Amino acid sequence: MAATASARWFDAAPGADRTLPFWRREPGRAQWLAIAFASLAAMLFAWFALTRPDGLISPLFLPPPSEVWEAFVRLLKRPYLGSTLGQHVGASLGIVLGGWLLAGAVGLPLGIAMGWWPKVRWLAFPIFQILRPVPPLAWIPLAILWLGIGDSARIFVVFIAAIVPWVMNSMQAVDSIDGLLVRAAMTLGASDRQILTRVVCRTALPTLVAGARIALGNAWTTLVAAELLAATAGLGYIALNASRTLEIGILLVAMAIIGVLGALFSIGMQLLTRLVAPWSRAGSSA
Amino acid sequence: MSATAVVVRSDVRSARASAARRPVAYGAAALATLVAVWWLATAIPGLVPTRVLPSPVDVVVRFGALIAEPFSGATLFGHALVSLQRWSIGVLAAIGLGVPLGIALAWLPPLRAVVTPAFELLRYIPPFAWVPIAVLWFGATTTTQAAIVFIAAFPACIINTQLAVSQVDSILVRAARTLGAGAATTLRRVVLPVAAPTVFTGLRIAFGNGWMALVGAELIVGKQGLGFLISQGQINDSAATILVGMTTIGVLGALIDVVLQRLQRVALPWRPASAKPLE
Repeated sequence: MAATASARWFDAAPGADRTLPFWRREPGRAQWLAIAFASLAAMLFAWFALTRPDGLISPLFLPPPSEVWEAFVRLLKRPYLGSTLGQHVGASLGIVLGGWLLAGAVGLPLGIAMGWWPKVRWLAFPIFQILRPVPPLAWIPLAILWLGIGDSARIFVVFIAAIVPWVMNSMQAVDSIDGLLVRAAMTLGASDRQILTRVVCRTALPTLVAGARIALGNAWTTLVAAELLAATAGLGYIALNASRTLEIGILLVAMAIIGVLGALFSIGMQLLTRLVAPWSRAGSSA
Repeated sequence: MSATAVVVRSDVRSARASAARRPVAYGAAALATLVAVWWLATAIPGLVPTRVLPSPVDVVVRFGALIAEPFSGATLFGHALVSLQRWSIGVLAAIGLGVPLGIALAWLPPLRAVVTPAFELLRYIPPFAWVPIAVLWFGATTTTQAAIVFIAAFPACIINTQLAVSQVDSILVRAARTLGAGAATTLRRVVLPVAAPTVFTGLRIAFGNGWMALVGAELIVGKQGLGFLISQGQINDSAATILVGMTTIGVLGALIDVVLQRLQRVALPWRPASAKPLE
């Protein structure tokens, strides 16, 4: 009787080991959602309670939710630092996508070539090995010195951040293809070019897309840092200026938009994986 | 490679050795060409201005000068030391909090439902986006830099620890329980040793992420450190200083990883990492 009662108030997931106490059991779906929502509500409540006028946290440290919301509405309605919110977001998006696509245009063919022809790999791999430990952000001062604080400096830094995953993943993808498939195609009379385009690139597709996803994540992270240093528009630029003028509400809104866009990129790339390579376990490989 | 049916053994060996040497030769040739092009481009007057790209010799000379005399408040070693100090504070805090929390999350599934909303809300905000607010909270101090390192290193610690512990074969856990071990003993004697290699691989990623984030944070705030050094190089129009700083950052980052790999082999020799860690 006691066992069924406890099973009712804490519904374990199917397949969970019911001999374990409830705190060691995987919760069922409904329970999981209930706990997650309660936790979210508790966090929101704590934010409200701690930032009240007589609360523990001063609004200069963390403003109340209402102030953040007002900052968001203000950003939507009026231009901030010379551009509307849409223009700032557009500036950030344009540079991140530009640098990412440019890195793909160079990195994807290079990586495939490095995986397919050993000589290309022997030539190019050591250069990447040497460049890899240098964080992309460390290129920012050099980029500013070379290209000024315009868009090209930021596109360059984003390019550097994105090209490593593009190249490494495409190389690995092509390199790890089952030799049996290639030999089967050869036996069936496929030309070298047919093998490369019809067998190799298609088999490698899921890993290639995974590389593109990592590259986009790196590009976004790096762009934010680059915008903190050299920009006249963009979300990182908003964040740094808001911090200097102590407009913490605007700063938090900028951080939130940066996070939401990062999440959208990740979700979008997972959907893309499912679209172009439905046979792979979508986005699961690193 | 040879098509002859009968091959003397020493021939095979030398053929193999030369096959192994070929990639190295190609790589060396590529790097040598790169350096030669760099040197030539700067040696021919008027082709590339020194302000944009100093010659390799200039960079080596600048390296010597930065070691010998202080630039922007410290010698190269001084800047590196400050960076390493900030980095170790942040990374140690991330490990100290992340590993126990990761173990708890894997061991107590309901806890995962408690922290998942917060984690999902925060995880897509890049570490550098925290720099402006960290400056407001902590001022331009070591705490700010260490906080950014912490934010960059913490997710890798917690995710990989949780992954490692939850992937421990449940048969091992049940066997230990059947043999009379309590929860604490099972955790300490069975789960942790099995999970340790994967946890350590996660820590290596955390160390690397922390190092990268530190450079970004130092570019924006601070009065010392390697990131500060290269930003000063940019302000003073000295590309040689930037290149020396970048090289030092890269070499230290690579060195940290090599040391950790060695450490892993010495400290946890019993099994390679079981799971592919998440970055």
